[in-house]
Amino acid sequence: MTTNKVSFLILEKSYVIRSGLLKILGDFPETGKVYELEDSRFLFKVLSREQVDVLIVNAKLTVDLTDVLHKIRNKFDNLKLIIFVGTRRSEDNFPGFDLKISVDEPKTDIIEKLQKLIQKIKPPEKENLSEELSEREKDVVRQIALGKTNKEIGEVLFISTHTVITHRKNITRKLGIKTVSGLTVYAILNNLIKIDDAAQPA
Amino acid sequence: MVITKDTKIADVILKNHNLIPIISRFGIKFGFGDKSIKQICDSYDINADFFLEIVNAFNDKDYLPYRKLREMPLNLTVNYLLKSHYYYNKIKLPFIENLISQLEWKGEDAEKNKSVLKKFFSQYRKEVNEHIINEEKEIYPYILETEKNFLNRNNLNPEFTEKLKTKSITDYADTHEELNSALLDLKNIIIKYLNPPENREITEQVLTEIFRLEKDMADHTELEDKVIVPVAAEMEKELKKQL
Ligand SMILES: [Fe+2]
Ligand SMILES: [Fe+2]
Repeated sequence: MTTNKVSFLILEKSYVIRSGLLKILGDFPETGKVYELEDSRFLFKVLSREQVDVLIVNAKLTVDLTDVLHKIRNKFDNLKLIIFVGTRRSEDNFPGFDLKISVDEPKTDIIEKLQKLIQKIKPPEKENLSEELSEREKDVVRQIALGKTNKEIGEVLFISTHTVITHRKNITRKLGIKTVSGLTVYAILNNLIKIDDAAQPA
Repeated sequence: MVITKDTKIADVILKNHNLIPIISRFGIKFGFGDKSIKQICDSYDINADFFLEIVNAFNDKDYLPYRKLREMPLNLTVNYLLKSHYYYNKIKLPFIENLISQLEWKGEDAEKNKSVLKKFFSQYRKEVNEHIINEEKEIYPYILETEKNFLNRNNLNPEFTEKLKTKSITDYADTHEELNSALLDLKNIIIKYLNPPENREITEQVLTEIFRLEKDMADHTELEDKVIVPVAAEMEKELKKQL
């Protein structure tokens, strides 16, 4: 399910400000992992190693901001950039950034801006909105509940094991259910199989 | 808030009720008046430094995680973990199981709903129990033995030396993830897919208890994965060099 979450990296020296940002980000159900850095030493390491969607960076970062920005834009073109500034009245423009938030902004404004940005990154797709399983996915759930392995499911449904695995991933993402026992309960509750036919819970 | 030896234990609990099961696990009973943590620990014969590390770590995620615990004797942490095993197996899981068995539905699916939830939970209980038995019979004793031999490494126990040649702490399969997934599934099933039971109050209790258990187990697992296992692995590595 982590695939439809948005991950953030906060580059900010102050613990107090970082915790404030963390709290705001935590208000969004779409927020996935949030990484924190006190300075830019490991910035590129984290950016290349982890899947980061949004970088929040303090305008007072000691190193040259334009330089960092340039490097980021060259290497990570999908990354959204938020600049965090000391005061909202500051008319400074920060070209190249997707968003500016300031320390003295009211919560509602910040939330609204972030909400828009998050929606840009993860537009609520039609597919995501409907958690309905396709007929094929229902077939797979049924087989899982009968206690079949991926290979056996492939043989019964005439699809490759690889396709079975893809179906399973989508099923888990749609339902929020991961374990075989959990999927079995789902299958029984939705009349995909009879309770006596379930392999698990034994 | 950082909890210190002079903090009144009543203030700790009033500030964070999630610590209630933790202090119970140390055997501390209510009615502590204005006693400080130091006084309480003395009267119950609890290692106050260890107690403080546990409550601080569970109270505040940002508290320097487990650094000091790693330097303390492992049997302190192991003893605490054993107590929380007892709490899961003998108190919390039976309690939740009983709540689940009280859920009632109307209509034709009533029996089916009841039986499927019960089965799911008893399967989960079985898995938790197997996990705990494996830890108590295999992993914890090996960890404590490793520590004991490490502290006495100039004079290794020959029996342990043999074990060291074939065993490794990293071999122990980790089922924490799987157990956690089962709880997440159960929450989703009740919140999203199950016909709402007639007795709403009990349903809410079941859910609340599952959320609590999840948090409690996450803290427990952290002590295993971030304290006792890595510390013992370090010691094991040193000892293997001596072979
Ligand atoms: Fe355990
Ligand atoms: Fe464990």
